[in-house]
Amino acid sequence: MKKLIIAAFLLAGFAPAFAQEQAPKLYTLPSPYDRYTTYLVTARLTGAVPIGSFKNDYIDKASFENYSISLEWVLQNSFSIGGEIGYSYFKQRLPRALYTSGDQTISAIQTRTVSQYPIQAFVNYHFLPKSSAIQPYVQLSAGGSILDYTVYYGSLADQRQKIRPTYGVGVGSKFLFKKDGSFGADVRVKYAATSFKYDYLTSGISSLNTSIGLFYRWW
Amino acid sequence: MLKKASFLIIFAAIWLTSCTKDPVNDLTDLDSQVFITNFDKSVNFKQFKTFSIADSVIVVQDDRSGTALTDLDRQMLSSVIAKMQSQGYTCVAASNKPDVGITIARITNTYLNVASTPYSSYYGGFYGGYGYGYPSYYSYYETSESYWSVSMLDLKNANATTKTLNVIWNAQIRGSGLANTDYFSEMINSVFDQSAYLKIN
Repeated sequence: MKKLIIAAFLLAGFAPAFAQEQAPKLYTLPSPYDRYTTYLVTARLTGAVPIGSFKNDYIDKASFENYSISLEWVLQNSFSIGGEIGYSYFKQRLPRALYTSGDQTISAIQTRTVSQYPIQAFVNYHFLPKSSAIQPYVQLSAGGSILDYTVYYGSLADQRQKIRPTYGVGVGSKFLFKKDGSFGADVRVKYAATSFKYDYLTSGISSLNTSIGLFYRWW
Repeated sequence: MLKKASFLIIFAAIWLTSCTKDPVNDLTDLDSQVFITNFDKSVNFKQFKTFSIADSVIVVQDDRSGTALTDLDRQMLSSVIAKMQSQGYTCVAASNKPDVGITIARITNTYLNVASTPYSSYYGGFYGGYGYGYPSYYSYYETSESYWSVSMLDLKNANATTKTLNVIWNAQIRGSGLANTDYFSEMINSVFDQSAYLKIN
């Protein structure tokens, strides 16, 4: 009995010591962001510059009224997949001019607009591991865009609403505010195109979008 | 966790679609005005010398019509007469066989509009001609628009057999501030100046 008590005391003395020896090893485990498939949500503000025939024939003014929010699953390999829903709005006003077609002449101040709600699925490929503070990536996205094309002649509108396919190719990088932290910044440059033909638009809507975003990740 | 995530996406969608904007609400009355003119290309306006004008304005409201001569209408009539004279036409009484006749109308249309959330025909076609069963996606709204319409009739070459007078020129003045008499001469100048073929002097 005495021996047992001594043994118990000894154990009681050793056990914490044993635990202390083990403790450092806990912290050498890879971060949960490396071990699990994790979630990441990003909110972005975007500056968009029209390009191609969209710029030449319709609107050449850059837009800063573009927002989006995306949710992605960061897989255990270098990829992440997710969905992004956004809003983009282009507007340009032209001085009073004459528009002639056939026997008809219209004098008006034209206000040209395009608004879109793109809903897309995307795949990201990351070049550096998840433990890295800077995580550059390339992105491919595709989906549908709820589109509203309206040309105003003065206060009269010529409007067309459609859902059209849209896609994008981008490069970007995530920047973690803190190693293994939950928050970070996201910078992305993306070419985005939506197929749409009507009136002034002969070969779709394309733009070069630069966005800055904030993300939160969890597991 | 997935549940929380999908809620977030739905919430974002509602937030994003809830805002509609009016990109032309910053236009002044004059800037909002639209001048639309049509003419008969086969007509040589140089053959006309005289005109007469109806002594009142036609008022068309939806399916009803009548005539009126308010102060507003008088102002409009005199603006048009002055502009016609400056273009080289002589104003004569209707009994003196004028070459062309001018009528002015105030037209008010009320529309009941149906707005629907757009869906591409893709899915309907995919399921063999199925439509969408979401009537609650439609919304109704009423709009009303008033505008001035000025027409020129060819009295010189009236078709005696069919008893018709051809409208050889028409101008519509649409937008805001159309009842403001300060704008009348500018409005009338605009529709005539963009129709250079009307000038005979």
